[in-house]
Formats: sequence, C-alpha cells, structure tokens
Amino acid sequence: MMNLEQSLEKQSSKIPKWIVYAFLIVSAAGFVDATYLAVKHYSGSPVSCSIIQGCERVLTSRYAVVYGVPVALLGSIYYTVIFVLTAAFIDTKRRAVLSYAARFTFVGFIAALWFLYLQVFVIRAICFYCIVSAVSSVALFILGMLVLSRK
Amino acid sequence: MRRIIFWLSVFVFIGGAVFGMVKLLQNSSGGGGAALISAVFSGDNMKGSKESKVVLVEYSDFQCPACAAYYPLVKEAAKEFADDAQFVYRHFPLSQIHRNAELAARAAEAAGRQGKFWEMHDIIFEKQSEWASEKNARELFRQYAETLGLDLERFSQDIDSSGVISKVADDYRGGFDSGVNSTPTFFLNGQKLQNPRSYDEFRTIIRKAIEQNP
Repeated sequence: MMNLEQSLEKQSSKIPKWIVYAFLIVSAAGFVDATYLAVKHYSGSPVSCSIIQGCERVLTSRYAVVYGVPVALLGSIYYTVIFVLTAAFIDTKRRAVLSYAARFTFVGFIAALWFLYLQVFVIRAICFYCIVSAVSSVALFILGMLVLSRK
Repeated sequence: MRRIIFWLSVFVFIGGAVFGMVKLLQNSSGGGGAALISAVFSGDNMKGSKESKVVLVEYSDFQCPACAAYYPLVKEAAKEFADDAQFVYRHFPLSQIHRNAELAARAAEAAGRQGKFWEMHDIIFEKQSEWASEKNARELFRQYAETLGLDLERFSQDIDSSGVISKVADDYRGGFDSGVNSTPTFFLNGQKLQNPRSYDEFRTIIRKAIEQNP
C-alpha cells in the first residue's frame, strides 16, 4: 500500500518535459521581444511612426516608463529570470527551482493584463511587440499553473 | 563538463540576443538603398538654396511624436546649411493611427497659400501635444493661423479646398510609391536615409553630401 502511494506520488510529481521546454522557449521569446524594445528605448532614435503599427504611441506614452526605467527593460529582466530559473531546473532537476519560476509568472500575468488594459482603453493603440510579450506572459502563467498543479 | 557547456550556452544566448538587437537597430530603420521616385517640383514646400544640388526631402506626419522629435534637428540643419542645401517637406499623414494628422497637413498647406507654410509647420510641431488628441483640432489650427496674422476667412476656405486636399494626398501617394512606410523618412539626393540618431550625425551626413556635390 505504502509502496503504491509512493510510486503514485513519484509519478504524478514528475513534470513532463514539454512543459519545461515550453517554459524555456516561451521565456526566451519574451526575452528577445522585450530586449528589442529596451534596446530601442536606449538607442536614442525616436520610434518612427509606421503605417501598420501603433507602436510609437504606446512606446512614447507616459506609461512606457516607470520612474525613469522603461517597462521593456523590466520585462527583459523578468524573462531573463524565468529563463535562467528554467535552465537551472534542467540542470539541477530540483523541483523548488521550477516552482519559484512558476510562482513568479503570476507577476508577468498581472503585468500583461495591466499593459493590455492600458493599450486598449487608455492609450487606444496596439503595439505588436507588446502583444507578443503579453502572449508570452499569459502562456508562461498557464504553464506555471500546470507546474504548480502537479504536486 | 556538460554542465559548463549548458550554462555557457544559456549565457551566450542571453548576451547574443542583447548584442544582436543592438546591431540590428544600428543597421535597420530605413537605409537599404530605397530611392525617391518623385523629384522636387515647384509645388513643394522648400527652404534653403534653390541652386543647391543637395536636396533633403522629409516625409512627415505632424501628429507623429518621432517627427516632432526630429523637427528641431531639421530646423537647425536648414538654418546651418541654408546656403548649401534644399530642404523639402512632404506630407505623409498616417490617418489610420493619427486622426488629426491629415487636417494638420491641410492647415499647414492653407497657411502656405498665404506664404506662411513654414511658420505654421513650426507651430503645429511645437504644439503637437495640444492638438493631437483634440476633437476640435480645427479650432486650434484656426487660432494658430490667427497668431500668424493670416486672413482667417481665406484660411478656413483653403483648408477644405480641393487644391489643398489633393496636395496632401499627392504627397502621400508619392511617398508611398517611393516605399515610405513610416515617418519621418528622409531622402538625401533621392536616397533613403537611415534616420540619424543625433544632430551631429545628421550634420555629418548632409555635410558629406555637400562636399560630394560642390
């Protein structure tokens, strides 16, 4: 009986590989996206206005910078943390490491909702790069919940 | 050993992505050898030296924040190279995202009918934040026209005249045909420029063109 319970627990606690790799890939994609915007912010040249995007309105709005720090940089740091934690899990196989990452995705999820709200209702312009980031954050949150649910 | 390689690749990826982005942004944003199709003509709004062989054509949108950011640079350059280069302003209002851009372009053209295109152009850029999201931008443009001492009745007629409307539309079409898809876009002697990042860079590019075309 004990054995069965133990083996059951062992089986259910195993996190499928696809979740781990999805974590890695999505955080890498979010990282590249946010880093692009952060570098663009610091490169000094104004974001051009384009026929197809509302990016310049979003990126030049006052919501794009918090206390002098561009939110893109915060996003870039956020994705780096998730990416490195996932890599650390692949390396050490320590479950706690992935749990930290999974809990941290909640922050990204809230941020994604907030920025979506700002774009749709306040700035009234949509920036493609910000949508990519929002999709990444929501995907990471779903993956994070999957990880946490496999206790 | 495998761990070292693993972590090395993780950090190479992170560093490489940052480095790649910096490089990408240095090389992209225009350039690419696109050429201006429509040549400068008498209907263009220009300042500087008419005899000069160096012509800078700017496609711009009055409501675009980047254009407003470039406005002082272009103005400064037009002053510095007033005897050696021509500066042409063409309209490229991105009406899909900037609802007052086209009207602003027409206001500048209407002022141009009374010989004050550049004066209106300056005010419109300087006060961009005032009228950009305003529902009744027309009234603000009228006020600017008043401060410039324009004949207001004529201004109000011209802003809706078919001549002014088609001038803005023609500029837009010419820009579109030349591959303009974002603003501001600059063409120096017909070649699309990579948007300069500072006044010094801008000045260097223009100076080089002047030296090559004495």
